[in-house]
Amino acid sequence: MLQKKICMLGSFAVGKTSLVRRFVESIYSDVYQTTVGVKVDKKNVQVNGTDLTLVLWDIYGEDDYQKMHWTYLRGASGYLLVADGTRKATIDKAFSLEQRVREEVGVIPFVFVINKCDLSQDWEVDSALQAQLTEKNWNLLRSSAKTGEGVEEAFALLTRKILG
Amino acid sequence: MTMPDVLENFLAQMGYALLEYRGAGAFVPIATLPGWFKGLWDSSSNPIPLSEACPFLENFLFEAEAFWESPSAALCQSETWVEKTPDGHEIPLQARALFLGGKRVLALCNPGAQFHEQVQMLQTARNALLDHERLAREIQKKEILLHCIVHDLSQPLSVMHVAMDCLSEESLSERSKQFLTLGKLASNQQETMIRDILHTFSDDLRASLNAGTEENASTDLLACARKATQALASTFEAKRVRLTVTSPDDPAAQWLVRAEESRLQRIFSNLLENALRYSPPGSQVTVGLESQGEFLKAYVDDQGPGLPKDLRPEQIFGLFMKGKQGGGKAGLGLYFCRITVDRWGGSISCLSLPEKGSRFWFRLPRAAGQPAQPAQDVAKIAAPATPEPQPPPRPLRILFADDQPDIRTLTCHQLKRVGHRVVAARNGSEALRKIRACSFDIILLDHEMPGMNGDEVASAVRKREAGKNTRSFLIACSGNSGPEDVARLKKAGFDTVLSKPFQLEDLYRALAAAPAVAPATALCRKPSAPAQVAFSSVLARIGGDAQLLQRMIRTFLHDTPKRVTSIAAALRRNNAEELASLAHALKGSVSLFGAEPARKLAQDLQELGRAGDLSAAPTLLNSLQEEIANLLGNLRGYAKQNPARPRSAVTVRRKPPRKRGKRRR
Repeated sequence: MLQKKICMLGSFAVGKTSLVRRFVESIYSDVYQTTVGVKVDKKNVQVNGTDLTLVLWDIYGEDDYQKMHWTYLRGASGYLLVADGTRKATIDKAFSLEQRVREEVGVIPFVFVINKCDLSQDWEVDSALQAQLTEKNWNLLRSSAKTGEGVEEAFALLTRKILG
Repeated sequence: MTMPDVLENFLAQMGYALLEYRGAGAFVPIATLPGWFKGLWDSSSNPIPLSEACPFLENFLFEAEAFWESPSAALCQSETWVEKTPDGHEIPLQARALFLGGKRVLALCNPGAQFHEQVQMLQTARNALLDHERLAREIQKKEILLHCIVHDLSQPLSVMHVAMDCLSEESLSERSKQFLTLGKLASNQQETMIRDILHTFSDDLRASLNAGTEENASTDLLACARKATQALASTFEAKRVRLTVTSPDDPAAQWLVRAEESRLQRIFSNLLENALRYSPPGSQVTVGLESQGEFLKAYVDDQGPGLPKDLRPEQIFGLFMKGKQGGGKAGLGLYFCRITVDRWGGSISCLSLPEKGSRFWFRLPRAAGQPAQPAQDVAKIAAPATPEPQPPPRPLRILFADDQPDIRTLTCHQLKRVGHRVVAARNGSEALRKIRACSFDIILLDHEMPGMNGDEVASAVRKREAGKNTRSFLIACSGNSGPEDVARLKKAGFDTVLSKPFQLEDLYRALAAAPAVAPATALCRKPSAPAQVAFSSVLARIGGDAQLLQRMIRTFLHDTPKRVTSIAAALRRNNAEELASLAHALKGSVSLFGAEPARKLAQDLQELGRAGDLSAAPTLLNSLQEEIANLLGNLRGYAKQNPARPRSAVTVRRKPPRKRGKRRR
């Protein structure tokens, strides 16, 4: 079966692991468990009539303690760029990660996901940031690993973009 | 046991798997495989297609193969990755490429306890970072709340201070003066108390939201709704928007909610002001209540354009969220409502109504407690003698911008009373238009105004002045005047900050800080010394022709009152173009007599007319009329003292009379 490697990128505690667990296992835990290292999961999906296996690389969130290894993106067909809507700094981090992916790996498909939309009343996405996002013209989705909102859609959109 | 046996036993006990690489992602074990390996991957085939089973290893093989091709002293080791057994058990692993006895070897190990220690350490560090971020956000929220409180408390106090200052200028009986002194004392005392509370609030943010007190508080939702609507009735009336409170179906029903009265009233006020902002004249705003089991719900319906389609309700209640029409102020009002309702265990949201308009609603848990106690009376203290505020020494041309009509009216009144020329503006944009049209010695700007705030106006003024040899004196009026606020306001371009609520002496002190006024501001009223026409200069300009001067004066005395009347009529008709044209003509005629103040006023009026903004024109016209009256008096005086020579004494060349019947055909 056709396999596509997808990486999860974003700051720490934005919900990358939770999104993968929601997508692959349909489960969610409210307890934050930091990811150290890399976890690889697989999920078979059908997009536009094509059966394929998504190989999901859940990569630790970069911070002062763990730096990103760009070799993890080797062979990646695309990536999900994840930010936490309640922490504006994670959106800024996503901007810089996207730029570094372009520099290190080149232009590959990605979808920007602002997670934790179940807490949208606490989102720090102000009008200036909205304008910035609009200007970037990215594929942008709101998601919640907690409720499942936007999770399937994000992976499906990314897969469609990968398949062209 | 042979040495290789010992080594193999040691590696097995350490949890290592040693595999020789046979190319194409396949491996052959060169020592007994540990239990975890067999739990993860099928080891029955030989060689084992490991990279196929483990994408992480497949990726690592790029580095490993490079190492095996040209071994270096540097370690070729992977970061940790986590594999899952079929029963969901997670096993951390690390890989290392080795070159042993000419063989390409991959050593896999399970770091076990070491990994879990690392996870624990990172978990603690990241939890601490998240806690720090949460705390920072909480502090920000409370600072916003503090800002809201300061702003709201300072508004009525400012009005009280200025209103009492105005009253003290009236001729009052001794008894009334005593009452007034008491009133002043009480408002000063209240201001001190508020500041003390706010200082405590700032020093100890935990005390700011005294949860215990609020949980025990109970307030009548209906009474609060009525109080808020009464307080805003005149504002609604001024905008011709009807405001009604729907009476509950059951008049005997209890509407007690778990909330604190003053903040609940503020929530109603914020929602009502928001509704008014978007309500067209002639429309209606309705306040209603509903019972919803354990909760009581209140809503404010308007007949405006409804909610913006690109905003979700939770965004509308977000921090610094302002409507696209710029009607909002600082973007704090609805945010305050949300954080307060959240804190009381309620919820708040909004929706577009089916036909037109929007509904903003909130609901709060019912409370069975007693209504909140009314605020304590202000203690009565004997009135000490207070020094009379001293007006500034020179008359100035001032622009005062504040969106609060009462503060605007009272402050302008007070400034005019001491001889200043004052132009008022209702918001930042209007202030900027007036600043562009006329020159001012001092510009007083409220910090928070709808649309363009004081900071933005100050920045625009400074930008406009860049490269020019002029600099207006900018004063910010702000309820927030801590060191950080002052630094920020000065950075925006303000020269000084007048802390709200202010009293007359504060205002005068701020005005006195302005540097000496440049000659260009001779526009200021000088009641004690009206401008005198320098007749000798005028005569010199017309070649000393006294007769001509007399004729000029006669013409001016005849035409000018009509011109001024026409300007006033154009202003009444709001005909900016005509006003500009008439002011231009008047400017030319007053220039003949070197009447600079009148000329400048006429020029300012002309510019206002050209800009199409006549809001400041009535003030300018008043000043112009005064200057013209002075000038006319001056000219009449001259004409009287220097009567024209009798007509007979003047040689008049007459044309010879035409003869009848000799018309040229």
